[in-house]
Amino acid sequence: MSRRLEEIPVVQAGAIDEVEQSLYEVRKKIYPRAVHGWFAAWRWTLVWFTQLVFYGLCWLEWNGRQAVLFDLAARKFYIFGYVFWPQDFIYLTALLIICAYSLFLFTAIGGRLWCGYACPQTVYTEIFMWIERKIEGDRQRRMRLDAEPMSPRKFAIKAAKHGAWIAVALWTGFTFVGYFTPIRELGADILNFDIGPWATFWLLFYSFATYGNAGFMREQVCKYMCPYARFQGVMFDRDTMVVTYDAGRGEPRGARGRKVDHKAQGLGDCIDCTMCVQVCPTGIDIRNGLQYECIGCAACIDACNQVMDKMGYPRGLIRYTTENGLANGWSFSQMLKRVFRPRVLAYSVILLGIISVTAYSLYTRVPLKVDVIRDRASLMREVEDGLLENVYRVQIMNTQEMPHTYRITATGLESLHVASDDVIQVPAATTRQVPLRLRIEGGMADRGAHKILIQVQAVDDPSIAAVEDSVFIVQ
Amino acid sequence: MQRAIWVLWPGFIVATGAEAFLFTLIDPMSLHIFGQPHEYSRLAVYTVAFFLLWLFASTSSALTCFFQRTADEINRCPLKPAQRPVGCPKREEDTCC
Repeated sequence: MSRRLEEIPVVQAGAIDEVEQSLYEVRKKIYPRAVHGWFAAWRWTLVWFTQLVFYGLCWLEWNGRQAVLFDLAARKFYIFGYVFWPQDFIYLTALLIICAYSLFLFTAIGGRLWCGYACPQTVYTEIFMWIERKIEGDRQRRMRLDAEPMSPRKFAIKAAKHGAWIAVALWTGFTFVGYFTPIRELGADILNFDIGPWATFWLLFYSFATYGNAGFMREQVCKYMCPYARFQGVMFDRDTMVVTYDAGRGEPRGARGRKVDHKAQGLGDCIDCTMCVQVCPTGIDIRNGLQYECIGCAACIDACNQVMDKMGYPRGLIRYTTENGLANGWSFSQMLKRVFRPRVLAYSVILLGIISVTAYSLYTRVPLKVDVIRDRASLMREVEDGLLENVYRVQIMNTQEMPHTYRITATGLESLHVASDDVIQVPAATTRQVPLRLRIEGGMADRGAHKILIQVQAVDDPSIAAVEDSVFIVQ
Repeated sequence: MQRAIWVLWPGFIVATGAEAFLFTLIDPMSLHIFGQPHEYSRLAVYTVAFFLLWLFASTSSALTCFFQRTADEINRCPLKPAQRPVGCPKREEDTCC
């Protein structure tokens, strides 16, 4: 395998190109052109929707508290009427599985719908590019401005842009932290310059991430940092709807006059205006086929359709289509029929199953958790009247946002009864630990460990009850 | 720059997951540092722990990058710097056979 050193052809230094080349490709700044059309309108609808939810939800009140709050300091998650504790970890797992399967399902059907319309990276990039366009102008003006030497005018424009970006980024950081610590208190603390060091740190950290990712990194996040971009291909098949250039119709591409019969000249429908490349936020040429950089934003479809309209050609030279659809010349409804294929059905069944189980479990969830621990110090002691006593610690967790009074009962042995206070009051969304003394009459049980059941039931609502098992030891 | 992303970014993703998992199971208030209960707030423990996890995970990424180098990248190159092919990072070096 290994060749001897003498055999390796040595290229003379003068013969090779002396152009310095860095190890990595230098990133060329992309100046996407603004685009209007059906898909752009959809993207802006989703930007509005997701951001109204994100910026607005944290201000909503519910039961006199923030409706959605992941209170890390108190280790409680509030989502409208529900309060989740660390013990409810299973619901977080279920949520992650549901998100993952939804992503698989949408990707199998329509490609990178998430990336093109709903991913925060896309959404914030869209907002930041809108600000950039309003302040610096469209593509040509931005390119000219960047090429200019620094001048007071250029400085003023750049300062205005970065000022606006930083304002949006700071508000985003504030909103983000507001989901983890009550946002109204946080707002008041900021106004009084009384914000804690950790909250300050995370606010600035998230603001900086927004500013950097949406202002500077942009498509690089999708190309180099996003794991989904790398594995999306495995969820694609020949019936997945993706943004596609119809090469059969477009090639051979070439410039021509509007009045010319291009078919007679042997030309396809592509006039090679490169509008699809100019509007692409990741700077690729969709005419080279499906590429992993394509985030499925369909900006090229909107741009190309406008060009087709101007030329008087039919729309859809670049369109959403499937590999099978393109090869067999299927209509849209024929491709839609292929949506119900085994892969999609399997994803749907699993997804629906997990959603149903989670919803049922949430619906039937009892807002009470009980934990019983035997006192390790003593196994058993004899008390007055020949009674035998075991001691436990009972942890009662009231996960509802109203106080409850509970009664503790024990069963499993003849004459078993609670000797300590058996009526316990627990405030709203609080945990209380109480000592529990259980007694039986002497001679009612043999020596050894006996299985018993300890039940905790709300006095005001008998449906709120929990049973834990433990042992009663007789020596 | 790209190497920095390769090291820091996977570390960040892993640290985020590890942080969520770790502190769902463990209450920072129940932690002991050098056998003593600590007096820091939960937010402080979350923050410091996140950066420690990020550091550990990034160290792992950095070692992966380090061990990924091929023999040719480590060994001394038999060619004079100017004779090395265009694009070779060792073209700039002074070290020679």
